[in-house]
Amino acid sequence: MTRLSGGLIDRSRTLSFTFNGRSYPGHPGDTLVSALLANDVRLVGRSFKYHRPRGVFSAGSEEPNALVTLGSGARAEPNTRATVAELFDGLEARSQNHAGPLGFDLLAVNDLLSPFLAAGFYYKTFMWPKAFWEKLYEPAIRRAAGLGSLSMQPDPDAYDKGFLHCDLLVIGAGPSGLSAALTAARAGAKVILADEDFRLGGRLLAESHTVDDAPATDWIAGVEAELASLPNLRLMRRTTVWGAFDHGIYGAVERVADHLPDPGAGVRQTLWRITARRVVLAAGATERHIPFANNDRPGILLAGAMRAYANRWAACPAQRVAIFTNNDDGHRTALDLLGKGVQVAAVVDTRPDATALGPYRTYPAAQVTNTWGRRGLTAIRVAHEGGSDWVTCDALGVSGGWNPNVHLASHQRGRPVWDAAAQAFLPGACPPGMIVAGAAAGQGSTHAALHSGAKAAQTALADLGIVANLPDLPRAEDTPLNLRPLWHVPGKRRAWVDFQNDVTVNDIALAHRENMRPVEHLKRWTTLGMATDQGKTANVTAIAVMADLTGQSIAATGTTIYRPPYTPVSLAVLGGGDTGAQFRPRRLTPTHPWAQAQGAVFVEVGPWMRAQYFPRPGETHWRQSVDREVLATRAGVGLCDVTTLGKVDVQGADAGVFLDRLYCNPMASLKVGMVRYGLMLREDGHVFDDGTCARLGAEHYVVTTTTAQAGPVFRQMEFARQCLWPDLDVHLISTTDAWAQISVAGPQARALLGRVVDGFDLSNAAFPFMACANLTVCGGLRARLFRISFSGELAYELAVPARYGAALMARLVDLGADLGATPYGTEALGVLRIEKGHAAGNELNGQTTAQMLGLGRMVSAKKDAIGTVMSRREGLVSDTRILVGLLPVDAAGPVVAGSHLFAEGAVQQTDTDQGWVTSACYSPHVGSSIGLGFLADGAARMGEVIVAANPLQRQNVRLRVVSPHFIDPDGGRLRD
Amino acid sequence: MTDLIPITALGTPGGTQPQRARFGALHLAEDDSMGLASFSLRRGQGAPQAVALPGPGGFLGGFAQGQGIGALWMAPDQWLILGTGQALGDFAAQVAVLLPGGCVTDQTDAWAGIEITSDAGPGPIEALMSKLVNIDLAGFGPGRATRTGLEHMSVFVLRRSESQIAVLGMRSAAASLWHALTTAAARLDHARGTA
Repeated sequence: MTRLSGGLIDRSRTLSFTFNGRSYPGHPGDTLVSALLANDVRLVGRSFKYHRPRGVFSAGSEEPNALVTLGSGARAEPNTRATVAELFDGLEARSQNHAGPLGFDLLAVNDLLSPFLAAGFYYKTFMWPKAFWEKLYEPAIRRAAGLGSLSMQPDPDAYDKGFLHCDLLVIGAGPSGLSAALTAARAGAKVILADEDFRLGGRLLAESHTVDDAPATDWIAGVEAELASLPNLRLMRRTTVWGAFDHGIYGAVERVADHLPDPGAGVRQTLWRITARRVVLAAGATERHIPFANNDRPGILLAGAMRAYANRWAACPAQRVAIFTNNDDGHRTALDLLGKGVQVAAVVDTRPDATALGPYRTYPAAQVTNTWGRRGLTAIRVAHEGGSDWVTCDALGVSGGWNPNVHLASHQRGRPVWDAAAQAFLPGACPPGMIVAGAAAGQGSTHAALHSGAKAAQTALADLGIVANLPDLPRAEDTPLNLRPLWHVPGKRRAWVDFQNDVTVNDIALAHRENMRPVEHLKRWTTLGMATDQGKTANVTAIAVMADLTGQSIAATGTTIYRPPYTPVSLAVLGGGDTGAQFRPRRLTPTHPWAQAQGAVFVEVGPWMRAQYFPRPGETHWRQSVDREVLATRAGVGLCDVTTLGKVDVQGADAGVFLDRLYCNPMASLKVGMVRYGLMLREDGHVFDDGTCARLGAEHYVVTTTTAQAGPVFRQMEFARQCLWPDLDVHLISTTDAWAQISVAGPQARALLGRVVDGFDLSNAAFPFMACANLTVCGGLRARLFRISFSGELAYELAVPARYGAALMARLVDLGADLGATPYGTEALGVLRIEKGHAAGNELNGQTTAQMLGLGRMVSAKKDAIGTVMSRREGLVSDTRILVGLLPVDAAGPVVAGSHLFAEGAVQQTDTDQGWVTSACYSPHVGSSIGLGFLADGAARMGEVIVAANPLQRQNVRLRVVSPHFIDPDGGRLRD
Repeated sequence: MTDLIPITALGTPGGTQPQRARFGALHLAEDDSMGLASFSLRRGQGAPQAVALPGPGGFLGGFAQGQGIGALWMAPDQWLILGTGQALGDFAAQVAVLLPGGCVTDQTDAWAGIEITSDAGPGPIEALMSKLVNIDLAGFGPGRATRTGLEHMSVFVLRRSESQIAVLGMRSAAASLWHALTTAAARLDHARGTA
């Protein structure tokens, strides 16, 4: 056991967890890694490309190596950083990316093949034969290289989202974040303090030094208690702010239940969208390493991480450790470990003037040049002024200085700026409203962090006119790093820069030789800085190594772009948790409950659920139901809920003028009490939408749209009203949902309606085709009646307030029993309109014109309207394709929508294409399949036989060109 | 009076009773009794003298004394007028009399109204809103109303009091709205239970 004394773990309770099936103990407060280290488990994974044994490298979210699969079954989550996985009782973890057991990975053969797997190898090696890439090379590479695997099962957990607004968002609850939050919250500002950790304190938790002569945790506890008492501060633990977006919006993920064995009925994670007026970024810093030969063995980790494990988690990877450093911070680790009873074999310091700060052996002006140990470190080679020694040790802490976490400061393409004095990239141009504080701003001593945090909050709030006083901050250490830069130990052997992507100094040198010198090229050529850690422990080192090779300064070498997310975010939480039936809102028609009770089959029509058909007992195929509904409508009367069609109430003194400019045909001339079919064009002259326009009063119209275009048409109307012609007195509001509208169609329609209207004269003389009126039905219920027909039959649409829709439908069915009243769904609706040759969405697909629909003369020459001028351009006018009807020559033959039309015997290719089939159905009226389509010179080709080609199904069907009106071409039924 | 029996927006067959649900301190209740009508001023028409209609973001309950009529701002020169208990009459005609000269359109059945009340002060209401709508609650006290997105639906949210809001959503999407509201309320209740 390598469990040390002290630490911030609760030893009164023991938790049990498993790693690769073996059970281990741990304590509340542990992470998966700290518990593994306390159980002497150092080997936790295999590397991405070479399958080299890997151990833990860091103590935070920057971890490149310790990626594990957490959980099992559907809850198995691959590529989780074990360093930030909070331990709970029953936690299950497995290592990934190995064939066979972790200790004996068959794919480790890749390590022997490493000369062939250098940077960009897959661009160079697998070029030939070309066909092998997709089938052989890529799958093989993907199998060998990689991370964990998905469970391939649906995610059983619930995810949530939410919106927060604040004066000040403080990102990070280390010393600078805590002092910023305290300063702002005391001033009464609305503050959010978010930290990815489950415990407040940040780096203070990892250090042994005191704050106001007491343990830092005392000060943290005091601040925490005060923050908890301030209602204007929201404290968000386990919350990672992962992206800085426009307008002060920040993305944050709160891990609500990841630390629980089972979230139960609760949510697992919540995605917060935080709108912050000002932000203090107190994200701290990440330690950097110094590449040297074979620096990737388990047991070699960041010195600051080693210190964090010892101080916070009372764990250490080994009993005998060494330190490799270029600054005083490495010595702190040696001192803290000594204080915990760990043996310090040596501190290897690159600085010539280095001296020991405690009772341990120090090698000044020395470097680690190699290491030994197959599945874990056993010795390091130390080159020093007097020669070269092997030093026996089981763990090595490496300290190359600290990189400020500038990521969020750079998310809006701000480039960090190299600071030679600090030997670090500091935040450059930040997103508007952001101030960076503490170690993230290069103010890394506890004293500097506390003060810069408070000052940043004060400055940010002053911007908002909020006066904040600086708090009395505690005394804290303020010691310099005394760093002397060393970016890598020269040598021929492989020295890893990016552990997660297996990128070495040699790979960077190769990229340099191959002229991949700009850092963006270097990144793509070597994959450096990619994947889950996004190079948090590698990027700056790689830039410095490239600078060495090119002879340029680090500042001139530049950086890659920082993009969200800061740490990996699950797609499930980004999706907001809505799946299945709740994936998007559903709109239900007013008669939906009634149709459900009738056993209707429903179909999705955009956001709507509509009754598709109403099966009756004995009907075993949908066609039987649909044919019956069609025939019943043509013989008696059919009833269909058509509420989904868009309805827009248009009022105002200029309503007629307005509609004249929207519709290509005139509407101002429409008489009160009448309805007119209307076409709207797009600016480019193609048809936008069709529908009816009813005039209920001198200054009152009701426009109907197709179901699909209800939204776009309303948007277009509002655009025209607000932007094109703001001088017109026009008032628009949607009434689609306000009215339930039922189509009553068929020769018995008038007879049926006569049974519900309250003394309204339905006679042809009083209420002719295309009439409309306000009236009452069923004993005083206000209603609207329109005599319009989509089916080609004598037909009406009756509208009543939506809450009465279901009752009205039931009443009509009931009262019409003797008239053959039959409810019909969207399938029959489609058949009826195809038989009549009415255009619908299939014909109005955005590529067609009024002329193609045979409605060219509707485009008024007496007035201008949107699209009128462009509809007359040569390219559209010269198009001879026009809507025709299509009948199979063999009556049993199919008509398939989407088939393309060719002259008989013609070669079937693009330049001989003569049109396409837009709509098709089986017509019980005709007794065969029928279709509508656009055909070149169609008007002149009645009776001609053409071929409908459907190459996807190897179909060639002979069709006869006929009128698109399969029933009642003269329209007598409508006007009857 | 018609003998047709209306159903509520969340109604199932025979669904004549409004939906209700309770999650901890939060009560959700469908309100199908509100009459609604839009009112907009004609070009050049001055603001009505009889009543003070609210400005942008505003909601005014009971502006016409004793008639239980309120209004919320919808757009420049356009308001949604609300009449408690007026759903079954011709509310638009009533509004046209109350506010003469403008354009009035009936909206009663265009919207489904859900009233949400907390019996533990504003906390639960604000927690619920923060899960559903992107509204800065600092500027959304009683008397405020806004149109906003909620689970991909367009809704009006009215702050009736510190501990009561109303959500108006498209009637046709009432079931999806109810699902969104009750799911969020149930999760808050669960989180409180496990905290």
